Amino acid sequence: MNRRRLRDIPWAVLMLVPSAGLLAVWTIYPLVRAVDYGHKQCNRTLTECRDVGWGQFSRVFQSDQFQDALLVSVKFAVFTVPTGLVLGLALAMLADKHIRGIGVFRVIFSSTVATSVAVASLVWFVLLQPQIGVLADQLSGVFPSLKEPGWLNGNDTALPAVAISSVWAGLGFSFIVVTAALQSVPRELHESALVDGAGSFRRFWHVTLPMISPTLLFLMVVLTTRALQTYGEIALLTGGGPQTTKATTNIPYLIYGENSLIRNDIGLKSAAATLLFLLSGVFAAVQFRGFGKRVHYGS
Amino acid sequence: MRARTTSRRVAAFAVVGLLVAACSGGGDITESGDDDGTTTTTEPGQTLAPTTTVAPDLLPDCPTDALESATGTVELTFWTGMSGPLAEALQALTDEYNASQAKVKVSLVNDTYEGTANNYQRASQDSRPDLVQMPEYMVQAMVDSESTVPVGKCIDSSGFDTSAFLPTALSAYSTQGVQWGMPFNISNPVLYYSKKAFAAAGLDPDKPPVSLEELREMSQTLVDSGVVKYGLALDSNFDGGGGWYIEQWFAKAQEYYVDGDNGRTNRASKVLYNNDLGVELLTFLQDMINDNLAVSVGSNESGQDDLLKLADAEAPAAMTIHTSAALRGALDVLATGIFPQLTDPDLGIGVMPGPDGAPGALIGGASLWPVDSGDPVRIAATWDFLTFLVSAETQSQWATDTGYVPVRTDAVDVEPHKTTLATDPRFRVAFDQLEASPDALTSAGPVVGPLSEMRVVLADAIARIFEGADVKQSLDEAAEQANNLISSYNTSNG
Amino acid sequence: MAADAVHGARKAGRYALLAVVSVIVLFPIYAVLLQALKSGPDSFDHPRSLLPVDLTFDTIRSAWTIGKLDRLLLNSLLVAVAVTCGVILTSLLSAYAFAFLDFPLKKVVFAMFLATMLVPAEVTVLINYNTADSLGWVNTYQGLIVPSLASMFGVFLVRQVFLQVPGELREAAALDGLGHWRFLWSVATPLSRPTLGALGLFVFLGTWNAYLWPSQVITDEDHRTIQIGLEHLKTPNDISKLNLITGGLVVAAVPIFVMLVIFQRQLVRGLTAGAVKG
Repeated sequence: MNRRRLRDIPWAVLMLVPSAGLLAVWTIYPLVRAVDYGHKQCNRTLTECRDVGWGQFSRVFQSDQFQDALLVSVKFAVFTVPTGLVLGLALAMLADKHIRGIGVFRVIFSSTVATSVAVASLVWFVLLQPQIGVLADQLSGVFPSLKEPGWLNGNDTALPAVAISSVWAGLGFSFIVVTAALQSVPRELHESALVDGAGSFRRFWHVTLPMISPTLLFLMVVLTTRALQTYGEIALLTGGGPQTTKATTNIPYLIYGENSLIRNDIGLKSAAATLLFLLSGVFAAVQFRGFGKRVHYGS
Repeated sequence: MRARTTSRRVAAFAVVGLLVAACSGGGDITESGDDDGTTTTTEPGQTLAPTTTVAPDLLPDCPTDALESATGTVELTFWTGMSGPLAEALQALTDEYNASQAKVKVSLVNDTYEGTANNYQRASQDSRPDLVQMPEYMVQAMVDSESTVPVGKCIDSSGFDTSAFLPTALSAYSTQGVQWGMPFNISNPVLYYSKKAFAAAGLDPDKPPVSLEELREMSQTLVDSGVVKYGLALDSNFDGGGGWYIEQWFAKAQEYYVDGDNGRTNRASKVLYNNDLGVELLTFLQDMINDNLAVSVGSNESGQDDLLKLADAEAPAAMTIHTSAALRGALDVLATGIFPQLTDPDLGIGVMPGPDGAPGALIGGASLWPVDSGDPVRIAATWDFLTFLVSAETQSQWATDTGYVPVRTDAVDVEPHKTTLATDPRFRVAFDQLEASPDALTSAGPVVGPLSEMRVVLADAIARIFEGADVKQSLDEAAEQANNLISSYNTSNG
Repeated sequence: MAADAVHGARKAGRYALLAVVSVIVLFPIYAVLLQALKSGPDSFDHPRSLLPVDLTFDTIRSAWTIGKLDRLLLNSLLVAVAVTCGVILTSLLSAYAFAFLDFPLKKVVFAMFLATMLVPAEVTVLINYNTADSLGWVNTYQGLIVPSLASMFGVFLVRQVFLQVPGELREAAALDGLGHWRFLWSVATPLSRPTLGALGLFVFLGTWNAYLWPSQVITDEDHRTIQIGLEHLKTPNDISKLNLITGGLVVAAVPIFVMLVIFQRQLVRGLTAGAVKG
């Protein structure tokens, strides 16, 4: 054993170097630098920096803007994660039947995978345009707010509208992931449950759901991380607005947005970005701890 | 079972902890923690000795005659903020320059203004371009970057004649007696209005409002006639009704927007827009909205929501204030006839209405900054290209292609812009109102490091005012936040 | 007989439900496609007709020429193919080390690898621009490609499959004198082909659709990817190009959609293979 461990080292180094090198240069190093910049104040061209202490992190965290943005990020996750999870599961269940033509429906349900953040956001930007957009044109009778002020301009409608775009864009991914999980549930389990006379709801609750729970947990963590790090949708759809309430300025937009007050301040930007990293970690840990025990990891 | 409840409790704790943290705290994100950023406040009007003096001797030289010693073709890179048809027009001019001589070859890298400004500031010295186009809000930041050759040095060493330039175009890019950037593309806000609506409401379609009082009266007439739902469409975008227009109105009223004589003689340390003039202007706009004479299209993310409001099928407005740079595009789209209610000849252009109908405007747009590469030949080649771009012939072509205002008065007497102005006087309005600017420091507009961020702060306050917030209080809050930005900028960059 | 009728009705009900959901999912794409395929005046008529009549390729054609979309599509294709090949290679190598090799601190190294998945792109792009700049990689293809060549997601997925390779197989191969290198390429890789296919598709999609990093490292027109080009079709202050964006959207989405139709089965099958517990 010990001899083998030593004998394998050169091979391990050889095989790990490409990935490890890339991750070190393009992921670890920038993280370390961001933490470093986080306690500095620099001029715009970064030629002169001075240390202002670690207090900059807590000042940023406690600032009104960061707190507001954090709340927006959390709200956005609350809007998008359960919706995305339930819709992905529902669509996958609906299409998990061997009937004629099901392949066509599967392609349709996974079709939004073909849309990127940019494509999906611009699609909804075009649809929701208040003066000439098709939704305002067709549905303003039912929802007058589509026309005035327009969903993306309304204080109460902007974040849900971005969430709709984001859930729609993510639907294809959720559908594919859950479908793959459903197909790996052994047939025999269903059949034995059927023999036991279990109804379809009980079969779903007692057989299917436990079997795909690891996938659902994975999906939940992925969707949450994605929700917390949403940037492109906000940049393209609302620019962090409406201005009066900043109802869609989440943490990434606070850092990078065109309307960001700290976009030219590398110190504040780095501090805020580091905090975003920590928060993502906390949320992921909370989900694994909170739900991990309820997940069924095979027999 | 036990394990499960424990870990769930842990999870719940973490979430509650975050939410509690979210409720406490406070303070402005740009408020610096240390107190060494003491601000010196200058009373407006009171003239002090400049707090920072630029010593011309220490500025980089511009050896404009070095191009003769060049061996082979000098390849230059030019970072621009132009996109779409504007970028195409600039590319055509650059091609013309490259073809006209063999010594210098210029290639363009096009991005947005924001992108170019951002890229320039974070680029290492080696990867900077030879020439960069910077929007008007970047003046102070560019001066502080200490990375460029002031064009004033080039003008002096080459004996370049600037007498035909619009004075406000030059003064906008100079501080403390140094001409830093070369004006290149100029725009300013003008009034876009529907002549059709004016005529239908019984107003003279060739006499748009000039003063704010007229703006209100005509809006009233238009709305009362039932021709349109609103007189005026406003926006609260930082590059429009939320920031830039306010600077314009201050200039028209000949008042300073920031201290230090608009930052032109001293480094600015605080904003002045929460004064009587600011309150008066925004109260006027708020009243227009409250009385249903005006409508705000909000932050105008598409950049054209306000213009589209003139062509709205259901709830149109008769007028809006918009940058003159959009005129060419607007006429092109109306000419296609996609909006039956507003066609090309229906669109009227008037001066931007202002307090007491006072004339004048601040320039918007961008200027050209030669980068100090340390190589005399490159700098001289850059200057050679620059003089081509601001020649009367080039400016005439550029103005006709884009709708920008030429930077020099003699460009309007040269083809093709001469014909453009003769056939469509609407293109003349922006030029005329710029030429009518009073000869005063206020006509040069504010220079201050974080001007772009400050516009965002003010735009947010104005958006709240448009929705009914208290005017004075909103302006005071914005001013405080803007002053934080300035002091933090000055501490790090001053 | 009655059971058949019930069965038939349930089947019809399911089809109806499938159809309704399909319409909802597809509507945004349909509406944009329709707007892109109508000529100027028709695309903004009021009330809007949602029927596909009087279609023209004018908008798409002008988006194609004005946005120089051919160049952008080629750039996206080049980058996505390069990144896909690279990620498969680096993932295979690292996954092999974690699955078949035995070395000190293996668990710690693996945990460190996993932790990098949590670092948001928002943190890294800030500094990575400066790194790319100092390497002279701004506005280059290597600037677009190299930083994306390592994917922890890929390493994890391939490792899952490798772990299912029976230990006896490796032992037997070792007895036959098959070294690690030969075993990786002639046994382990072929066994994981379905998963590699799914991984490849996901990486391809992810790279094709990437937005934040390409928008930072590319500032000129020559190396722009299609996603970044789209934003430039939405130019403000140019009201005449209002409808151009819809043409661009169609061009950007169609190749990927076609790919999806062709490979959808493989995508699901590859994930099914990898998803079995590990």
